[in-house]
Amino acid sequence: MQAIRKQGVAAQPDASGVPALSIRDLSVSFGAPSAGGLTVLDHINIDVRDGEFLCIVGSSGSGKTTLLRVLAGLFRPTQGEVLFNGQPIAGPSRDRAIIFQDYSKALLPWRTVRGNVALSLEARGIPAGQQDAVIDELLAKMGLRAAKDKFPGQLSGGMQQRVQIARCLAQEPKILLMDEPFGALDAMTRQALQDEILQLAAEKQTTVVFITHDLEEAIYLGDRVAVIGGAPARIVEMIDVDLPRPRNQLTTRENSHFLAHRHRLFELLTRHQSAQHGGIGIASRNGGNG
Amino acid sequence: MRRLLLGSIAPVLFLGVWEMASRTGLLTLESLSRPSDIFIAWYHALLDGSLLIATYQTFEAALLGLAFAAVIGILCGTVLGLLPLVERITGPTIEALRPIPAIAFMPLALMMFGFGVTLEASIVAYACVWPILIVTVAAVRAIEPRLLDVADVLEMPFWKQMWTIILPAAFARINVGLRVAAAISLVVAVTVEIVLNPRGLGYRLTLASQELKIGLMYAQLVWLCVVGYLLNAVLRNVGTGSITLWGSAR
Amino acid sequence: MKQFALARLAPLAFALTLIGLWQLLADLNLISPIFFPSPARAFAVLEYRLADGSLWGSLAGTSLRMVFGWLLASIAGVILGAAIGSSRLTRDLLDPTLEFIRPLPASAVIPVAILFLGLSNAMSLTVIAFGAIWPVLLASVHGFSTVQHELSDVSNVLGFGRRQFLQKIALPSALPDIIAGLRVSLAIALILTVVTEMQSSLPGLGWDIFFAQRSYRSADLYAGLILLAALGFTANHLILLLERRALRWRTLRT
Repeated sequence: MQAIRKQGVAAQPDASGVPALSIRDLSVSFGAPSAGGLTVLDHINIDVRDGEFLCIVGSSGSGKTTLLRVLAGLFRPTQGEVLFNGQPIAGPSRDRAIIFQDYSKALLPWRTVRGNVALSLEARGIPAGQQDAVIDELLAKMGLRAAKDKFPGQLSGGMQQRVQIARCLAQEPKILLMDEPFGALDAMTRQALQDEILQLAAEKQTTVVFITHDLEEAIYLGDRVAVIGGAPARIVEMIDVDLPRPRNQLTTRENSHFLAHRHRLFELLTRHQSAQHGGIGIASRNGGNG
Repeated sequence: MRRLLLGSIAPVLFLGVWEMASRTGLLTLESLSRPSDIFIAWYHALLDGSLLIATYQTFEAALLGLAFAAVIGILCGTVLGLLPLVERITGPTIEALRPIPAIAFMPLALMMFGFGVTLEASIVAYACVWPILIVTVAAVRAIEPRLLDVADVLEMPFWKQMWTIILPAAFARINVGLRVAAAISLVVAVTVEIVLNPRGLGYRLTLASQELKIGLMYAQLVWLCVVGYLLNAVLRNVGTGSITLWGSAR
Repeated sequence: MKQFALARLAPLAFALTLIGLWQLLADLNLISPIFFPSPARAFAVLEYRLADGSLWGSLAGTSLRMVFGWLLASIAGVILGAAIGSSRLTRDLLDPTLEFIRPLPASAVIPVAILFLGLSNAMSLTVIAFGAIWPVLLASVHGFSTVQHELSDVSNVLGFGRRQFLQKIALPSALPDIIAGLRVSLAIALILTVVTEMQSSLPGLGWDIFFAQRSYRSADLYAGLILLAALGFTANHLILLLERRALRWRTLRT
């Protein structure tokens, strides 16, 4: 149940001062504005500090997935830019791994667990002879050792999501972009994976941008929580989560600060959800949800 | 619009280069003719009626064979679909007969029927019966069993059950098999004509090539494309719901 | 045990009964021996001609033509299918033309192919490839155009180029469709092999059957038919076997 992370309280601003990700005045719309185009994201500004665990919450259809795809470099924003370590993002890169919610569609069903992880190593040009050691280490870390030679279709949802995480770790990213990764899992599996991801992020001091519609998950995991809402979506609020680490599924969730944050976020979201109308169709045009 | 524009680039370019090449003498191969000659040959064949008669002959045999195959295929398919035991017993025999190319029966059919529409239709029927049979078995098996129970309770005779329950319930799926078979029927009919039966479009095509009427040969080839394309277009539309004989074609 | 006996023996008994009935009709002279030689005679001829080796050559000729024509169609079909299925531009450029040619009965190409290539194996292979390409082409287009967009994203993030994407992601993803298409293509290849052999007297089972009819040797005709059935059956099952091996991941479930 215990997840070890940085022993401080919240993440300190990075000494070098350059944010890992800097989202500047970012807007996304679909179709020409003159032809009734839909604006999904409206002038978003966020600095993600190096080593920070940033959660983004918003109701479904609020453009969260679109934002994450922009951060990955898979989608070009209509306006504004994103700086990665100070450099503008021109396209996708192995430095920014993306973990999809729908693990069943994001894994290669014809490759074994081992083969799926090997994909990232092949992309990095690591010769076949040197792959085994890396793969074994990653599989052991993700609790997948016994499933090494199984196909994704033979695994439970939680195990499949572990495979996807292992594949992303194998590409040795500087940032993990996670799109509601635990949204489709049952409560027990979800909690176990929450703690595992906290531990992984702490070990390597990896920066994480984590999207979810689950308030409690956002507070439990994050150093900060960005709330986006409205149509088009804006940053409604940025909350510093002053909860001690390592976090604990029982004590953290009973902490009075946790409850206070939850209370406040709930109010914010419900207020903006009622203000937002017909937002759900927007995400589906982009082929994602969130 | 974009599709239409881009899609016409390849054929227009192809025909243009072909025409230019043969006009400028770049292309002297006599087996190639040229697009304008092909068009003229087509126009003449259309005017003197030979093309239309040949088309009628081909369709006559194809439809006859298809109709025969439909009756046999749907009947046998229904029986096999209703009686899984019979299907299990006859299955391997059917699986052994099915891969024999229908065309291979041509010599046999020739001995039995002589040249003519029967020869052609029999080959078409053999080729078409399999897809119809297989689809019917699957369709009948997918009928809600309670529907058949109702029929039994009402003590309907088999023919009545077939007409009021089985065919309406299974027709949407059987229709798919019929469409596949219809496309096959044209192909098989033309093939029989090309190989041995002296009638129809296939025979005309062979004849034109043997008499070295190259323009006519290509004209008939293109005509076959058109006919096949139209048939497929019709079949597609029939399939999407205009057949509502029982009002249940989903 | 009883189940097993029923499942295995009853179908065999049915087939044997049919053959027995045929034999009986022939023995009683109820059907003309010119059209329907008794099965005993057909199998005797089959055995004799297999023993003296004359049928093996035909079987080999037909098999080789079928396989090579099919391979040509498969390779061209998958490459063309990948080009059309993974690029909207190629699709818009080629689709209407292909849709127009597709309904053309492949056998109609024979007269043209003969003009260019004569009564040769090259002619036969061209016709077979032309006719057998469609199922595998359509299946490949479908397979390549329905690659999960998450997988395209993964490929982009990992920095795969076009070649690597096709090889590591798109091709395996399209493989179930492709194999289904390959199976239909093989059946068509066999049909066209027989047709071209008949049409251009190339040494093979198709020509054997044709020739047997011309010389009114119906037992030879049936021997050829039996061998053709065996060839089609075997070819189909080899592909099924390949499918089960290549798509093992689809059937394995916990």
